[in-house]
Amino acid sequence: MEKKEQKRHQHKHSGPKAQKKNRKKEQGTEQVQDERKRNPRAFSVQSAVRMAKTFHRTQDIKTKKHHIPLVDRTPLEPPPVVVVVIGPPKVGKSTLIRCLIKNYTRQKLSDICGPVTIVSGKKRRLTLIECNNDINSMIDLAKVADLVLMLIDASFGFEMETFEFLNICQVHGFPRVMGVLTHLDTFKNNKTLSKTKKRLKHRFWTEVYQGAKLFYLSGMVYGEYQTQEVKNLGRFISVMKFRPLVWRTSHPYVVADRMEDLTDPEAIRLNPKCDRTVSLYGYLRGTFLKNKCQVHIPGVGDFSVADVSFLPDPCPLPEVIKKRALNVKERLLYAPLAGVGGLVYDKDAVYIDMPSGHKCLFQEEVRPTTELVQSLIGTQATLDAKMAASKVSLFTGTAALTPEEVKQNPMESREWDENAQRERRRAVFADEDEKDDDEEEESDEEEEEEEEDEEDEDEEGLTKKVDEKAVETAAPPVKKQKIEEPMEMPAFADSDDELEKSEGEESEEEEGDEENEEMEEGEPAKRRSGPDSGLCSEEDDEDEEEDSDMDEDGDGIVKSKMSFKHPEEEKIDTEDAEMAYETAGALRWKEDLAQKASEAYLRHQLAAPNLRKLVYGTVAEEEEDSNDEEELGGLFKVSRPERSKKVRADAMDCSRFHPDSSHDWDQEEVRSSIRDCFVTGKWEEDKDAATLLKENDELYGDFEDLETGEVHKAKTGNKDKHYHVIFQKNKRLEKKRRLKERFDAQYDDGDATYFDDLKDEMQKQAELNRQEFEDVDDEVRVQYEGFRPGMYVRVEIPALPCEFVTNFDPHYPIVLGGLGPSEGNVGYLQMRLKKHRWHSRILKTRDPLILSLGWRRFQTIPLYYIEDHNGRHRLLKYTPEHMHCGATIWGPITPQGTGFLAVQTVGGIKANFRIAATGVVLDLDKSVTIVKKLKLIGYPYKIFKNTCFIQVGSPAESGVSP
Amino acid sequence: KILTFEGCSCFRQRLVLSTLSVKRVKIPNIRSKDDNLGLRDFEVSFIRLLDKHECNVQRSIGYYLEALLMLAPFVKTPLRAALKGVTNDPTDPSVDLLKVTAIPLMKKFGIDGDGLEIKVLKRGMAPAGGGEVLFTCPVRRSMKPVQLTEPGKIKRIRGTAFSVRVSPQMANRIVDSARSILNKFIPDIYIYTDHMKGASSGKSPGFGLTLVAETVNGTFLGAEVMSTPQGQGDPVLPEDLGRNCAKLLLEEIYRGGCVDSTNQSLALLYMTLGQQDVSKSLLGPLSPYT
Repeated sequence: MEKKEQKRHQHKHSGPKAQKKNRKKEQGTEQVQDERKRNPRAFSVQSAVRMAKTFHRTQDIKTKKHHIPLVDRTPLEPPPVVVVVIGPPKVGKSTLIRCLIKNYTRQKLSDICGPVTIVSGKKRRLTLIECNNDINSMIDLAKVADLVLMLIDASFGFEMETFEFLNICQVHGFPRVMGVLTHLDTFKNNKTLSKTKKRLKHRFWTEVYQGAKLFYLSGMVYGEYQTQEVKNLGRFISVMKFRPLVWRTSHPYVVADRMEDLTDPEAIRLNPKCDRTVSLYGYLRGTFLKNKCQVHIPGVGDFSVADVSFLPDPCPLPEVIKKRALNVKERLLYAPLAGVGGLVYDKDAVYIDMPSGHKCLFQEEVRPTTELVQSLIGTQATLDAKMAASKVSLFTGTAALTPEEVKQNPMESREWDENAQRERRRAVFADEDEKDDDEEEESDEEEEEEEEDEEDEDEEGLTKKVDEKAVETAAPPVKKQKIEEPMEMPAFADSDDELEKSEGEESEEEEGDEENEEMEEGEPAKRRSGPDSGLCSEEDDEDEEEDSDMDEDGDGIVKSKMSFKHPEEEKIDTEDAEMAYETAGALRWKEDLAQKASEAYLRHQLAAPNLRKLVYGTVAEEEEDSNDEEELGGLFKVSRPERSKKVRADAMDCSRFHPDSSHDWDQEEVRSSIRDCFVTGKWEEDKDAATLLKENDELYGDFEDLETGEVHKAKTGNKDKHYHVIFQKNKRLEKKRRLKERFDAQYDDGDATYFDDLKDEMQKQAELNRQEFEDVDDEVRVQYEGFRPGMYVRVEIPALPCEFVTNFDPHYPIVLGGLGPSEGNVGYLQMRLKKHRWHSRILKTRDPLILSLGWRRFQTIPLYYIEDHNGRHRLLKYTPEHMHCGATIWGPITPQGTGFLAVQTVGGIKANFRIAATGVVLDLDKSVTIVKKLKLIGYPYKIFKNTCFIQVGSPAESGVSP
Repeated sequence: KILTFEGCSCFRQRLVLSTLSVKRVKIPNIRSKDDNLGLRDFEVSFIRLLDKHECNVQRSIGYYLEALLMLAPFVKTPLRAALKGVTNDPTDPSVDLLKVTAIPLMKKFGIDGDGLEIKVLKRGMAPAGGGEVLFTCPVRRSMKPVQLTEPGKIKRIRGTAFSVRVSPQMANRIVDSARSILNKFIPDIYIYTDHMKGASSGKSPGFGLTLVAETVNGTFLGAEVMSTPQGQGDPVLPEDLGRNCAKLLLEEIYRGGCVDSTNQSLALLYMTLGQQDVSKSLLGPLSPYT
């Protein structure tokens, strides 16, 4: 059919209609603006109350959006985000993890076991953990999860575990929760499907928050979820933002993804139940971790960390951020517990990922390749290396000591460390090493030699197990070493410093003592190093031998040791260094005076002990090298405060400081030295009022500009024209900056609220925090601020119960929660508690209850009480049904405001809701009085007017139970 | 785990820090070589103070107050302590000095509000005491990080010259002599004369001067000199005292820093106990106490 051309609409150009339209068009824009004018009654205030209400409401909504601004403490390279996949069994958790891993890394991981770390994007890594259906794991993982993927079997609906987990989360700070509905392909009917979806979604929303994200994984394809859906889920995960939670930002924690048993195999052989030394690996999260702090491992207990060191990141983010997506090489996967991770080097061993998925362990070779050692390796290589390795970890304070370093100069490193330890001790105890003088040293020396002789004898006695050949080869170096021992002395003596010598000797002495003790114990089983003391002492001897070699080469060790003692300006706290600048700067204008002052200052500095070392313990090696060539004369002065400290031990405790170097303030010269400290004095260039004035003129008066330019030209010669140009450029930049500041102040601050100001302040602080240690080497930085979150750390923990190792199951999470300074103590806690409304029974006073509080899970006996109107705490026999009540427990000290939950039993799965109660810690009072109404039974024995005196029997017979 | 220290130096600091860190300390060998073994009365009274407030007259209230300043922001309830004893003596920083230097410093750390105050109700000079000081301090959950790196220029000098149970003219004589030195540097000087009479004048006579220099950035540097207590040592002339005090202030200014030498340890303590943000402060040469 032919299309009929329709007649186009003809606009009227004249006539009344057109006129009307024209009029409308002209007024049209005005009319919109004049709405208020045209119809003022519609906009007039009808009711002041309503007006106020609406105003309040808008303000409420506005302020509701605000969170208390926090200082942004996320490190530049944040640790991987912990994604916990949780759900009842057979809901598809492992499948989902596998699909996500495949989505991100294009790798297939058959067995998900332990945390799996993957690089998910240019700036984000994920650690995926599967939570098995067990309330302990659920509690532990809720405390560390950043994001929870909550799997729900849509064909079945919600299960108790889901709600239990949500309640656990609520108590320990709510992580992000994303629901994932699976088994949607079981629905045949589309309508029931959509209805179920809607029902589950709304239930989920009431539980989490309105509008919480719920994902649908519709069906399986070849045993996997559909690629597109997984991809979408992955996208959601990679862009998710997290708000820091209070407990986690104030406590460091590590989710261990690798565990190595460092215990001496011989000790295990002799006593399979002996305590184990274990090193745990993982990304540090939360906040800074200090070395030698206390950690809690849920389910195991409190332990003090023997050593923390950071390792190179096994799963690093791509180095250069390009625009394109990650390539295959950058999509890393690290899951040592599942047996994936490629080649991993670290202190203890080298791991190579074999195609079979098994871990293969090659012990590294630490010994130098001498014939002796080779023969030793031939006999008991692994043990030998193990010993060496364990020694390293025992003595080193830092991680930097690679095996190579140990090989080169093991004595130096150890010396250094013992030094450091001693140093630290000194910082604590005012006077420890008063007693060493030369005679003692010498006697020590002799003792040591004797000990060594003994050792040799013992060795011969004990080395029956070892190859005859090995013993023969071992013997000569010992003798050689003995000869060399005296030669070691002059090297120390050269330094001409008693302190040095004594320290060196002391460390040796300590060593000797250790060995001596071992010998006295006589039981090889208890020895720290190896099954055979013979081997052990050989080790030591070798070390010493090497050391003495070093000394012969040149006094490298002595030098480096001395450099420790140098409190030089650079090493001293930054504050002091700055101070030096300041004083110098202030005094520069008067040359000789400045000279004198700086000299005096230097003297001061030399006299003062190295602050940084006092405060932060050891000083990293790099710095010492740079300071090696400083003059030796300083040594003398350093030791002086040490000695005088002893005298000062009983000194007057007074903070008033009487300056000794009194200047004669009557002299004009001296007086003028501080003249600039006053407002009347000379100001710095940029702050001087005169220059400021001039600048302002420059800014606002254009004709002046020319003039100043002229003036400048006249001043400067051709020679430093270049300098002048730069100077001017800087000046111009400075001027621009100031103008901008002024502009900002004028226009932005007008509507800035308190909130904005606070936010700005926080921003500034975050910037400052970041800048402070930005260009400092990691080694040094770790000593200043501890290990920062995001580092991959190795934590060595001694004396773990053997069950930890023997029953180790990678499916259960291992969390190392750092404890605050006083959180290791136990005391009385007062808490507000409410029985969970879904828990079927009320709780009885003095019934043991398992609490999850802070990092811990522990059993305790609560006393429930309620506060009466008169402020007295009355004991309750049972918790109220729907009310809060107080509870007092004897438990680990935890900061106020920390939430907790209680369960009655952790073993087994009961049908009903397991969480018995939730609450919060209110107080840590040691003395709390809870009163109880007593019924006393007695007999009247006297009646006097209206008073009856009653004789009460002993509490036992009157029915009072304590 | 018990930390062990020997001797009685830094006695207060050790006890305060052990209280703050909830660590046990053990201090054996106190004055083991002295004729007078063991704790002195003032130390005993200091330990008492940590439970509860009568200051021994052997040391001035400043001795006790310094420790309280360290503890007060961290206790459970706002502190209100009335300390009785010696307000000013030559060995310890006096209450006046702490009032003008430590309080502004604490304000920088975010401990402010109405609650923070040191008030001298009665003055009591060294041998007999009889003074009374009211110290109130609010509680803060956290310290603000500080950036005290620019001391700034000194814009004014303030001071208090006090005299109790002596001629009120003494204070004026002190002021004149101090001004004679300081006027060469800055004209903005005002020294209050504080003559306490009657019940609020304590039990012993004496006089003294506290000077404080305020910079444009709000740094306070203080110095003070007290007259020697009655019956101990040579008496001092008020003119000499004023001059000495002015010189001490100049010395303090020469040493520089954003925190004066009396309060260095306080500032450092607050910095360490603050949040984990970076705090910076510029100190003069450290005094032996810090």
